[in-house]
Amino acid sequence: MTEVIFYVFAAILLFAGLRVVTAKNPVHAALYLVLSFFNGAALWMLMQAEFLAVSLIVVYVGAVMVLFLFVVMMLDINFEELRKGFWKYVPVAGTVAVVMAVEMALILSHRAAQIEGAGLVDHPAGYNNAKVLGQLIYTEYFLPFQLAAVLLLVGMIAAIALTLRKRKNTKYINPANQIQVKRNDRVKIVSMPAEERPSVEAPKADDGQA
Amino acid sequence: MDMKTIYLLIPLAPLFGALVAGLFGWAISRRAAHCVTIAGVAVSFLLSAFVLKGIVLDGVEPFNGTVYTWLTVNGIEFNVGFLVDSLTAMMMCVVTFVSLMVHIYTIGYMEEDPGYNRFFSYISLFTFSMLMLVMANNFVQLFFGWEAVGLVSYLLIGFWFKRPTATFANLKAFLVNRVGDFGFLLGIGLVLAYFGTLDYAAVFAQAPALKDATVTLFPGATWSLLTVTCILLFIGAMGKSAQFPLHVWLPDSMEGPTPISALIHAATMVTAGIFMVSRMSPLFELSDTALNFVLVIGAITALFMGFLGIIQNDIKRVVAYSTLSQLGYMTVALGASAYSVAVFHLMTHAFFKALLFLGAGSVIMGMHHDQDIRNMGGLRKYMPITWITSLVGSLALIGTPFFSGFYSKDSIIEAVAESHLPGASFAYFAVVAGVFITAFYSFRMYFLVFHGKERWMAKDHHAHHEADAHDEDEHHHGLGPNDKPHESPWVVTLPLVLLAIPSVLIGYFAIEPMLYGKFFEGVIFFNHEAHPAMEMLKEEFHGPVAMALHSLQTPVLWLAIGGVVASYVFYMVAPAIPAAIDRFFTAIGVRKLLEEKYYMDHLYIDGFARFGRVLGTVFWKVGDVLMIDGLMVNGTAKVVGFFSKVTRRLQTGYIYHYAFAMILGALVLMTWWLGGVLVSQ
Amino acid sequence: MNIMTWSSLNAGVATPEIFLLCATCAILLIDVFLSDAKRHISYVLTLAALVATGCLLVAGYSLQPQLAFNGMFIADPLASLSKLGMVVGVILMLVYGRGYAAVRGLFRGELFTLTLCALLGMMVMASAVNFVVLYVGLELLSLSLYALVALQRTSSRSTEAAMKYFILGALASGLLLYGMSMVYGATQSLDVFVIAQKIAHDEANRLLTVFGIVFIVTGLGFKLGAVPFHMWAPDVYDGAPTLVSQLIGSAPKVAAFAFIMRILAQALEGFAFDWRSMLMVLAVLSLVIGNVTAIAQVNIKRMFAYSTISHMGFLLLGIMAATPGGYAAAFFYAMTYMLTAAAGFGLIMLLSREGFEADQIADFRGLNKRSPWFAAMMLIVMFSMAGIPVFIGFFAKLAIIQALVGLGLVWLAVIAVLMSVIGAFYYLRVVKVMYFEDPTDTAPIAAGADAKLVLSVNCLLLLVLGMAPDRLLTALTTALQFSLHPGL
Repeated sequence: MTEVIFYVFAAILLFAGLRVVTAKNPVHAALYLVLSFFNGAALWMLMQAEFLAVSLIVVYVGAVMVLFLFVVMMLDINFEELRKGFWKYVPVAGTVAVVMAVEMALILSHRAAQIEGAGLVDHPAGYNNAKVLGQLIYTEYFLPFQLAAVLLLVGMIAAIALTLRKRKNTKYINPANQIQVKRNDRVKIVSMPAEERPSVEAPKADDGQA
Repeated sequence: MDMKTIYLLIPLAPLFGALVAGLFGWAISRRAAHCVTIAGVAVSFLLSAFVLKGIVLDGVEPFNGTVYTWLTVNGIEFNVGFLVDSLTAMMMCVVTFVSLMVHIYTIGYMEEDPGYNRFFSYISLFTFSMLMLVMANNFVQLFFGWEAVGLVSYLLIGFWFKRPTATFANLKAFLVNRVGDFGFLLGIGLVLAYFGTLDYAAVFAQAPALKDATVTLFPGATWSLLTVTCILLFIGAMGKSAQFPLHVWLPDSMEGPTPISALIHAATMVTAGIFMVSRMSPLFELSDTALNFVLVIGAITALFMGFLGIIQNDIKRVVAYSTLSQLGYMTVALGASAYSVAVFHLMTHAFFKALLFLGAGSVIMGMHHDQDIRNMGGLRKYMPITWITSLVGSLALIGTPFFSGFYSKDSIIEAVAESHLPGASFAYFAVVAGVFITAFYSFRMYFLVFHGKERWMAKDHHAHHEADAHDEDEHHHGLGPNDKPHESPWVVTLPLVLLAIPSVLIGYFAIEPMLYGKFFEGVIFFNHEAHPAMEMLKEEFHGPVAMALHSLQTPVLWLAIGGVVASYVFYMVAPAIPAAIDRFFTAIGVRKLLEEKYYMDHLYIDGFARFGRVLGTVFWKVGDVLMIDGLMVNGTAKVVGFFSKVTRRLQTGYIYHYAFAMILGALVLMTWWLGGVLVSQ
Repeated sequence: MNIMTWSSLNAGVATPEIFLLCATCAILLIDVFLSDAKRHISYVLTLAALVATGCLLVAGYSLQPQLAFNGMFIADPLASLSKLGMVVGVILMLVYGRGYAAVRGLFRGELFTLTLCALLGMMVMASAVNFVVLYVGLELLSLSLYALVALQRTSSRSTEAAMKYFILGALASGLLLYGMSMVYGATQSLDVFVIAQKIAHDEANRLLTVFGIVFIVTGLGFKLGAVPFHMWAPDVYDGAPTLVSQLIGSAPKVAAFAFIMRILAQALEGFAFDWRSMLMVLAVLSLVIGNVTAIAQVNIKRMFAYSTISHMGFLLLGIMAATPGGYAAAFFYAMTYMLTAAAGFGLIMLLSREGFEADQIADFRGLNKRSPWFAAMMLIVMFSMAGIPVFIGFFAKLAIIQALVGLGLVWLAVIAVLMSVIGAFYYLRVVKVMYFEDPTDTAPIAAGADAKLVLSVNCLLLLVLGMAPDRLLTALTTALQFSLHPGL
């Protein structure tokens, strides 16, 4: 029974993956990706890795893909233009892909590739996937966990470094400066000597000589 | 002063002189140049004499030690080391004595030459090189000396480098010696490969153990190691000692100034091969094949080079061919395992041949550098000292009893008679016949030069002869019809006199200790059982006087006398006879054969050399220009450039091409391995 | 449940990494409060942090390997020495690139923090003995590099290069991870030593493991830039700011070497027979394509990219030998190549100035007339890369070839030598351009005295090390001896 369900989900996963690549509409492609994530989560569920399944849906489907859809919908990209020549490469690429898939299938289904005793583990009742993962991550896998954190930090730095723009010609107001402004900064009272009204004089006689 | 310092000083003193005269020749006077070089050689000679005295009289142990380690490669040391035993000491004395004489003689002979200082530098450098050669205790140093004397010989043959004939001659000498050196170097290489050392003592110690070792030259041809080694080493000796067929350079080397003809091409350098084989006697004794080879080569040289001496008209060439012939005698002695006899002859020959050459030089000076003996005659009246000393030298050369040459040459003939090698009978015939020929051409020259009419008065009809080919040259202006030759100055005659003394006496006094005493004990080895020649000689020897008297009963002496008489009759009494004989031999072509020196030069120059040039041209045109430059160098560059452009096009800049290449790469790796692993499972 | 403490983790072993991380965070924070005019404070702090990390590495150097973090992290001589090499490489990059970055608006806090994070990633790669940690270290490095390549936002070439690098890198990471998961499946372990043990005891599924190895080799090939996974290299080297090109071309090669050692030579040693043939294919292809294509380049950064590809071919040949001698030779190659490449890129930056990149071979025309000293330095770098004797590059190649000949793989050695000969062509062409052509650019060299000094020392080191290569080679050989089979 489990096997049948596995193959159903796996088939849908493969189909969804293929459609991600072949779909003409980018929104459709993104949605197929969501579908494939769901199927992946289902496969994890079959292995009783419910924490991973849930986090896959929450993180990828709930956050990443939604964000991605926003971007795809907001950008006006001509995907047809980008996909030009796609079909030209299909024969070659398809052949290679098929050969590769066949080879891999041959190898992995070969009896020499079978591992004895491999299969799903029957967990005792009350087994908590999240708890076990947490224990492993925070004890045995302490180092990779910390390094993964650094990886996220690098991602953050990179994202900021690549996207934060400070244009030199942007005119914006700095509120801190606004608040700190003093009276003297705004108004400068300059004392000037009063001037006499200029008197109108008759032109001199010699002006006419010129 | 300990002995090691003395041994070091002996070669270094001439080197110092050579450096001073050579590097600072432009700055110092002629007098200074000859003083410093003569002083160097004199020091060297005195010390050599001291060393010899120590070994002969005081029984000083032979010295064998390393002075300086030049380099070490894979555990093989390349040393500068001295082996000073009786053989070395004797050679040192001969070399330094003759060299000293030649140095003094040169003051007179080269008086007018602009290259005076250079000449002194060269001959001192030669003395150094020769001493390094004879004093070596290992093959590397031997080879160094070997090449160094060759180099100086090359420089001196071409001393008058403005003469085309001289540059041709020195090139010829150099190239022919290269052939010999090639064999020599291969021989040394074999020694190194199989003995693992280049030290004489170590090699000789191992030699008996390797007696049966074989070496495969090419598949199917397995030879005895020692035979191959000895023959290769002897090929080196053939080049240096001008043995047939590598003799062709020596007659031409007479293009050099006469003093060096005496020093290098008669007394010392050309005997290096003889010395080397004597030194290697422990190796040669183990190979009858090699000894037989040596014997036959020596016999051919001794006889056939003598023939050529008969027809020469250049005074120096006559002496040169006699040198070739005498070197053949020494080689024959080597082949007969009579190494000590060979060395003995080497020594006596060094004195009398140097004497003859210097005498010839004196004559040439008297004749104002005319070398054609047909233009001479009656010189005894004008040059008495030269005449007497030359007579002494000639008598020694032909083996007149009680003269030094008699003892050494007669011993050689006796030794060959006792040899049992396959080539011994031919060698015996050659050396005995050689006696007659030697006597004939020696006295032909003697009579033509010192007796008879004063022919330079009417020499015009010889003007176009080959020996006068350099007539235009400043050194060959000759004597005018009304000039009279003069005796040479004392610096020339003194060496003649000093050399004449050992030419007469040394054989008488040295034969007993050198051949039959303990002089060479532990130095020269011979196998008593296989090669009993020396043992037999010893049994028959009853003192030098008895030997001289005994010679009256042998054909050898009578042959020599016959040669002298024949030459007297031919050239003094009835010149018509040789002319008639000459016509006869011209008619049957023998004369032409002799004039062309058995066509050896043609074979080498028109045969080998031309073939080499053609081959070289073919390789150059086809191999170098077409294949290497055209196809390989430029072709490779073009191919690489082409592929470079092709591969550059692969870099399209499209990301999906890049990704595709990666996937394809992974696929290829997978497939590559799929075949391997799945099959093996 | 055990209580996790500092000492139970044995975290002291990772002091250099921990210090580096703290320093990075501190610099990140300090930099926020600095105005552009005071940016050099971050620069100095970064250099100080690097030097201090280097000192900590030296101080903590021990021939005996020490495990930490539940056996996921190891400090052995291989790790320590390669980390030292990386630190030096990063210092060189910052010193050479200071002026270059300043005139291009790259002299920002992100440059420093990202570089330090990349270094942290490399150091983790060198020390990790667990596939997860190895992978995270690799990603840390890669992510930092992607960002660094794109740092010059105004340049479309940089952005394009970063995009290519990122996408292809993600693909390679995916393949690598897939391979690792296969090995995990076959051996049921992620620990390098446990995997090695299982393979040794024949408890690993060979087919699955080797299947995984195919993908691991693919991923590693990408990181090294070996053919056919090399295509990103020329575009990225060319498009990235030169100082980032230098970073990509130098220190990560050492990290990649250590990474390969951990995975192939330590964990999967038992299947050396299988991965050797794969590496051999990559090595030969890299040698051929790298050297041949480099000839057609006119851009010196692209030329360096192809030359790096060919050098990685040599490196792979050493690893492929799978003998202690081969590993040592490859280690030596990686370290010396790091120095050589750093000097090469340093010289490009030396000649560049505001608005001028000096990235064409033609820009080196007549350098001898402009600056004989730096022409000589470039000559040393080129000769070393070409593998001309007395320069260090020669001995690096020689060590590899010796290892190959020792295994009887003479034909591979012949290919390597032949390709080196072809390679000599384009290196010597640069020399020819410098010495035998007239300068087209006469502007004075704008670089600072610090860069000039360090660059000169760097180049002369190539010569000095070449005269006495034994010491370094012996040290690296010993390090590998103690590292590969620690017997923990």
